Amino acid sequence: MLEAGHLDRVFGALADPTRRAILARLAEGEATVNELVAPFGLSQPTISKHLKVLQGAGLVSRGRAAQFRPVRLEAAPLAEAAGWIGNYRGFWEAGLERLEAYVEELKGKESGHGED
Amino acid sequence: MGKIEPAEDLSFVITRHFDAPARLLFEAWSRPEHLRRWFGPVGWPLTLCEVDFRVGGRFRFAMTGPDGRQNTPFGGEYLEITPGRRIVYDNGFDAPGAEKMIVTVSFEETSGRTLLTMHTLFASKAMKAMHLGAGFEWGVGSGLDQLAEMVAGMEQPTVG
Repeated sequence: MLEAGHLDRVFGALADPTRRAILARLAEGEATVNELVAPFGLSQPTISKHLKVLQGAGLVSRGRAAQFRPVRLEAAPLAEAAGWIGNYRGFWEAGLERLEAYVEELKGKESGHGED
Repeated sequence: MGKIEPAEDLSFVITRHFDAPARLLFEAWSRPEHLRRWFGPVGWPLTLCEVDFRVGGRFRFAMTGPDGRQNTPFGGEYLEITPGRRIVYDNGFDAPGAEKMIVTVSFEETSGRTLLTMHTLFASKAMKAMHLGAGFEWGVGSGLDQLAEMVAGMEQPTVG
């Protein structure tokens, strides 16, 4: 499960259409910063700024050794964020169902002590 | 602090009837030895369960998933306790800057049966959206749907 601060960063990163387009491009394969600049018609510093946000959210990583440090998509946080969403209702319905079984057990214990 | 949002937009309510007195349900919510037995889904045991059940006292929980890894702890403070009737606490992940929700659990007993109402007040629309699955509607647009679908079907990227 992603911690809340990390989820905030993931959702913050995904809230921008340019950054979503960059991710969609990277889903086709890794790319250098220059390769990303061309199709978006934005300046290199602007693309780099977006990449920094994506990197801070763990959604992309940069190659270390290669000269052009290609950017690649990191799918795990995205998949985790998608899986984590919507859990709250299910989480509590599951818990309250267990609680129902558990209070039956508690009731049984009480009556076992001679009350009923 | 962000802008002020209407409280009704930030709320979420879940209710359930129990064939048990309020007193027992209240007890099940207030003691760690009980909480460990039912809190959360099957397969996600509370492996950290510290409870100082008094107004101003704190609780701290963490669950361990099927992969054996303990997840980020969460917890908060008991804000209000009315024995057998009502428990109010705040709750958030143990992470810097994590937002907190305020949870009110009330127990209404009628002839031996109890209606449990759990009301959650999220700190922001984004927090609510994140927890309730409206995340895709929250200023994100349909592009993310496709992206998430695509990514779900993807292999992990190979390294190097």
